[in-house]
Amino acid sequence: MTFEFLLQILWTGVAVASYVVLFSMAFALILKVVKIWNFTQAGLMGASFYTIYICLNYFALPLLPAVVIGYGVTVCAALLFNRWVIETLRARNSSSLTFFILTLVISQFMIYFFALCFGTEPLSLSKNIMSGVHLVGGIVISNWDLQAVGLTTGVLLVLYVFLNQTNMGQFMSAVADNASLAKLYGIDVSRVYIYTFCIAAFLMTVGMYLFGLKVSMIPETPLQMMLFAVIATLLGGIGNIFGAALAAVLLSLIQALSIFVIPSKWQSLILYVFLFVTILFFPQGFSIAKLKSLLQFKRT
Amino acid sequence: MEYVLSVIVLMGIYIILSTSFNLIIGYGGLISIAHPIFFAIGAYTTGLCSLHFNTFPLVSLLLSGAAAIVFSLMLSLSSLRISGDYLLITSIGFQLGLLEVIKHLGFTGGASGLGNIPNVVIDLDRSGFFAASSVSIALLVVLFIRWILNGPYGLLISAMRDDEVAFVALGRNAMKIKLVIFAIGSGCAGLAGGLYAYYYQYVSPEQFEILQSSMILTMVVVGGMGSQWGPVVGAVLLLFMPQAIGFLNFPPSVMAPLQGLIYSLLVIIFMFLRPQGLLAARKRVQ
Repeated sequence: MTFEFLLQILWTGVAVASYVVLFSMAFALILKVVKIWNFTQAGLMGASFYTIYICLNYFALPLLPAVVIGYGVTVCAALLFNRWVIETLRARNSSSLTFFILTLVISQFMIYFFALCFGTEPLSLSKNIMSGVHLVGGIVISNWDLQAVGLTTGVLLVLYVFLNQTNMGQFMSAVADNASLAKLYGIDVSRVYIYTFCIAAFLMTVGMYLFGLKVSMIPETPLQMMLFAVIATLLGGIGNIFGAALAAVLLSLIQALSIFVIPSKWQSLILYVFLFVTILFFPQGFSIAKLKSLLQFKRT
Repeated sequence: MEYVLSVIVLMGIYIILSTSFNLIIGYGGLISIAHPIFFAIGAYTTGLCSLHFNTFPLVSLLLSGAAAIVFSLMLSLSSLRISGDYLLITSIGFQLGLLEVIKHLGFTGGASGLGNIPNVVIDLDRSGFFAASSVSIALLVVLFIRWILNGPYGLLISAMRDDEVAFVALGRNAMKIKLVIFAIGSGCAGLAGGLYAYYYQYVSPEQFEILQSSMILTMVVVGGMGSQWGPVVGAVLLLFMPQAIGFLNFPPSVMAPLQGLIYSLLVIIFMFLRPQGLLAARKRVQ
């Protein structure tokens, strides 16, 4: 194995992590602010992808308007979900099990709907998933890689500024900390939830746009990708949106580098091992202190 | 007639699955949706035992239940100390992770599945025999679970589910009860898996994916979570209902998602309009 080969794997891992980072942040954001494990995200991701697909293939629209319409549909679906499902269950004081089942089942309903409309054959947003490449210091960098890394970095920066420098970003933090107290201070909590869903829908749409240009998708694909987002959210620490992003990158890199250690057919199993280890040993997110305490416990 | 009998076989299998799942989620309050993996373990155990060791069918079925219990302990011993949301996610990971392992192992037939499971009914009417066996085993499982729930152990289970903190404060071991509930429920699912493998003579990993979880969950929710007969009603209703659209003669590519659409839509409607299900759980007498 050469150094260049290792760099190539690292770069590809980072590029592929781009859309996973966006999905993880969308999941982590809703969990932080709205306080639900939003499994409906898989359905919303599907809605975003198939809307862009319809716009491109049935109406022959250019890419940008197609993505904008995709975002519009995803936002509408997310807000309807918030209005009719989340608010209704909140008003009824439903248990977390009810939230869980309903978000998962709505997601499945949407997946079945997409399977009925579009079949189970893999579909892609681009007619040709190969993009032009550049050779930089022996590393192959594709145009898609540059677009994905650039776009994701841009979105991360904008989100960072929004969350830390704007009033709404501060309101989101306040609602995430204590929604009842935030209400007492005059913050419109419902409005904060609407903003949260709008931002999450944006992250999902950009993610699905990048994903759709690179990989083909079947209706169940978002469900598998969402599991990745769940693990990254847990590993990054619940409430830490950028921690989830970092965890997503690390998980992608570990998956990519695992080909040196285990046969490629077992690569997908790594994700489940991480899920298990994270929940059992780091349910509050990965931390060096926790790792040290675990190792110390083992020694004693 | 053959068709009706095959539906009755499936009905028996799903009554076992939904009733045992209800024990875990409805009575134990353990939010796990990994039930299909124990169903799968049972099916694969029977398939492998019959194929390689030619075991007596009853022994295979018992081994299926035992294997499912062993695997359930693997999940429960490690993850029952966490609860609620975390347990649910762990259970999804456990189910999908194990299916991933099954898909890549040679002796399980990999992703293409395990076929050629021997036919154990030769001289008798095969479908009639399986229909009678499936319904009988389902009835035994329902009565067994009813017996547990209506006895002193059932009171302990209800007490633990209603207030675990108070239950532990009284010196009771909640963890032990959770382990037992999980093991019994999973063991029954394993038994159903054994029956399934013998009847269809073929098992593959895709039959036990997350959509199977949704189907069993639907039966419990529609029937009535925490009600003793609710899951039975849910299983019967949800197995007979898709037969109605079966006569529309849609191609399988339309039929499968359409059935899924109906299942998930039913759960959504029930959770909004009648969250307690068709047969609501009995209220405790103070």
